Formats: sequence, structure tokens, C-alpha cells
Amino acid sequence: MRLVIARCSVDYSGRLAAHLPPANRLLMVKADGCVAVHADGGAYKPLMWMTAPNRLVEREGSWVVTNPKGETLTIAVEEILSDTSWPLGADPGLEKDGVEAHLQALLAANCERIAAGLRLVRREYPTDVGPVDLLCRAPDGTTLAVEIKRRGEIDGVEQLSRYLDFLNRDPMLRPVRGVFVAQQVRPQARVLAADRGIRWLEVDYDELRGIESSEQRLF
Amino acid sequence: MRFRCERDGLVDALGAAGRAVASRGGSLPVLSGVRVELAGDRLSLIGSDLDLTIGVEVEVAGEADGVAVVPAKIASDLVRSLEAGAVEVHVEGDEAHIAAGRFQSSIRLLPADEFPRLPEPAPDAVTLAAKDFALALHQVVPAASADDARPILTGVLMAAEGDGLRFVATDSYRLAVRDLPGTSVLREGQSVLVPSRALRELERLLGAAGEVTLRLGERDATFEIARTRLTTRLIEGEFPNYRGLIPSTYPNRLTVGREALLDAARRVRLMAREATPVRLSMSADGLELVAITQDVGQAHEQLDAKYEGTELTVAFNPEYLLDGVEVTPGDEITVETVDHQKPAVIRSTEGSEFLYLLMPVRV
Repeated sequence: MRLVIARCSVDYSGRLAAHLPPANRLLMVKADGCVAVHADGGAYKPLMWMTAPNRLVEREGSWVVTNPKGETLTIAVEEILSDTSWPLGADPGLEKDGVEAHLQALLAANCERIAAGLRLVRREYPTDVGPVDLLCRAPDGTTLAVEIKRRGEIDGVEQLSRYLDFLNRDPMLRPVRGVFVAQQVRPQARVLAADRGIRWLEVDYDELRGIESSEQRLF
Repeated sequence: MRFRCERDGLVDALGAAGRAVASRGGSLPVLSGVRVELAGDRLSLIGSDLDLTIGVEVEVAGEADGVAVVPAKIASDLVRSLEAGAVEVHVEGDEAHIAAGRFQSSIRLLPADEFPRLPEPAPDAVTLAAKDFALALHQVVPAASADDARPILTGVLMAAEGDGLRFVATDSYRLAVRDLPGTSVLREGQSVLVPSRALRELERLLGAAGEVTLRLGERDATFEIARTRLTTRLIEGEFPNYRGLIPSTYPNRLTVGREALLDAARRVRLMAREATPVRLSMSADGLELVAITQDVGQAHEQLDAKYEGTELTVAFNPEYLLDGVEVTPGDEITVETVDHQKPAVIRSTEGSEFLYLLMPVRV
């Protein structure tokens, strides 16, 4: 990770033309090639950026970043105030958000909410393409792979399909069926899940947590 | 494609179609754009997230027909920022060039051939008075749930009721029912569940329109207002049996001025912080509204009201109470109750076309 504090102006040409007049800014060059221009504000969002793959050419007083789409970021550097580089190493990745992880824990502790008689084999069961949230055994001996999401989108069904593909190669486990669980399953995800022979299920997070509101419900 | 048009017409059309555009492209990035098609002098713009589709037609001075998909937000922001007057648009290769006065810009297009084919509206059409329809939506839609975890409740039930149409919405805390007598849209016993998000957009589009045409298909509903067409996917599933929730008789009945109750509830609500309810104490002396929030303070107000029944105090979520009273028509309303735990019904004294059922809060 290279961090350069510099007085610079920046021009972008691509979908639109845009210009940043001269000012002190942070230029961030990540190990994967991403270049981002930050001001001292505006939360996480850069003023301008160019994602990888791209090509950065550094000349005296000027950086030119181009990408295969023909977009160009031209940084006219008037003065460099600081230029440091730090190797950050491999990133462990984003942890699942609290609700999703909690849903997994709640359903692991109460597999009956997914299907009657279901027994947990393991949470985060490893496959070659990543861990599936729950691996369970049905009373008839069938193995069930359960993928849990806060919002059930097509991507989640695709993810579970990949796990099922790998799990069904294991003679000790197959046949493995899939269950896609979310607080809400989008219509497109329902169609795709049904098409792939995957069952989908919507669960109420508050109900699973046993939360009773002082606000009574009509039903 | 090449055309000229007035900025204001293009801004309105891009804005209307853009409201249906997917906020994130999701699995179909092209849906972050508005599909623009020019045929002669007729420019059609369509935005869609596959659940909701809004199409608009505007007259322009067309020079060369064509189809393109422009990124919705940037195109809309850009055209809106132009000075009033003529705007010239032409598409060349994978770019749209937009020019007005001395301003020129080019926007990279999204691939038009990836824009999905959208369903054709059903042929059978029913035309309704837009004003009544808009009022019914205004009364009912706020009661629909915003919680995507319970998708059925995010819809508004439209059902045949007698010789008319009934709208019902509930988020499980309150329920709004509105009848439009003499409006035959559905077959006897037929009902559909329309997403409240689509009906909110429809209410916005209805504005000062005179008529709205409704076309109901198997899986979607289309509403046509002048040259704008809104199509929404219907929600599949069974709406809760709401009829069983409405008690047939009420031992207690309060009659109070609507505006007086609204004003008092708005004042008292200021002291109802952090999910604190507003209590309605009803007696032969009238109505008293009370809100007490520990460490903050309290407020109470006495109102003139007619009350028949036993003395009773019922607590309600102030927002839900106000939502109901605000959309109940007439100068006077009634609040009918059984006890402090069972749902109360708010109605107008001037008609029976609207009913608002509200669940009390435990105190």
C-alpha cells in the first residue's frame, strides 16, 4: 500500500470529463493496482479512482493511469509532501454481518426450524470452494447443506449450488440436498432455487431470538 | 439515434423512469440504466428493476431512430443541471452525446441488447377516476409493512367487494381498509396483492391526472396514466384473513373532532420518546391524552368528546394513531374499543368507506 500526500490537480476522462483543481490530497496506490484520490473528508469514498486492471505511468510531475476501457486519470503533481509504502499482506476478508452470523447460530441451535427432525452435523462445514453455513442430517439419513443469508438473492443460490456440486462428489455425504434460508428470499432467487431443486425458507429473526415487543400484533 | 427536445420534458421523463431503476445493477448491471427508444418523434423511456417497471413517452423532434440504454442517475443529473431550453441528444457507437447551449458531454452507454424484454400488459383494461383511486391509496398504503422479512405484508390487497373494489393493507400492528363502491375491476371473489412500493410510485404519478387505466395480468398489474405506464409484479401468497380481526360489536364508543385530536396528539407525542405510547383515557368527561417518558417529562391534554361505555384507558403507538386519524375523512371520527388489549377501530362519522384498525400497546 503506497500512500502519497501531494498537492495535485486531477483530470478524469472516460464516461464523463471531470477536473479536480489543485489542492492537498491523499493518493492511494494499492498492491492490486487500484489508484484512489482522497480529500480530508467524505468518509470512505475517493474523489476519483481507477480500479484494477490499469496501468500507472509515473513521470516527473505527472501520473497517468489508464485502463482497458480507455478511461484516463491524469494527476498533475505539484509537490509531494509525503510518500510512504507499507506491505499490508493478505487480507482475512470481511466478517459476516452480525445479523447473518447470529441467524446461523440461532438456526444451528434449533435446526427443527428448518425441517422437522433435522440434526446438526457441523457449522461452517468446509468444501473446496468455501465453508457451507450448516451441514445437517435429516431423519431419513439424507444430508442437507444449508446456506443462510440476511437477504436471499440470486448470488446466494449460486453460492449454495457451488457447495452442493462439491459436496455431492463426496461418496460419504451424497446425496446432499440444499436449503436456502433468509429473512427474505427475493422472487428471482426463489425461481432459481426451485429450478435447481433447492428448497428455500424465510425465517423471522425476532421470532428466532424470542423477542416479544410491547407492541402487540393483530396476528 | 438523434433528437432534440425541451430540457424540462426530458428531465421529467428521465426522473419518472429512473424511479424504477435498480439502485444497484445486481446481477443485471444494465438495469442501472434507462432504456431510451426513438421512433419518429416519439421517445420512449423505460426503467425497471424487474419487480417494478415505469415507462414514459414524450414528444421530441426526432431525426434518426434508435435504441440505447443510458446510465440512469448520471443522465438524469446531467440533464437536470442544464439550463432551460433545447437539448440535443445523439447516440454514436457506445456513447450518447448530450448538448445544450455551449455545454457538451458524452456518456458511455450500457449494452442495449442486454436490457431484458419486459412483459406486455394484459389486453383487458378498466378505467377509473384517478382522484378516488389516489385518495384510496393515500389512506391505505401507509399501513403496509416496510419489513421485507414479511413480503406478504408489504403488499396492498385489492379485492372485489360487493359491486366495488376494496383496498386492504396491514403491517400487523394496524390495518387500513378502504372501499371504492361501484368500481368493478375484479371478478367476484378475485383479489390481487400489489407491492406497496409500486402503489407509492403510482400515487406520485397520479398527481392531477383525470383517469387511470388498470390492466391485470396473471403475474403483474399495469397502471396507465396519460403517457406513463407503471407495471408491477404481483406478490404471490395468501393475505392474512383480516375480516376475522375486526370485532363485530364494540361496547365503548368515543366521538371526537378529528382536527382537535390530531393537534393534541401531535403536541403530546413530543413527550412520547423511545417507543413510549400515548394513552387515551376515555370517560363521560371526555378524552385525555397522556404521554410520560421517564427522565424526559410528561404531557397531557383534555379534549371535549362524547363517550358511551365504561371508563377506559388505552395506549397506542403515537405514529400509528396519527397515521390513522390523518387519513380518516370528515370532521368527526369515532374510536371504538372493546378493552385496553383488543384492537380499536377508527372511522369517520360521515361514511363507512374507510376503517382503520389499531392494536393497543401494552403498558
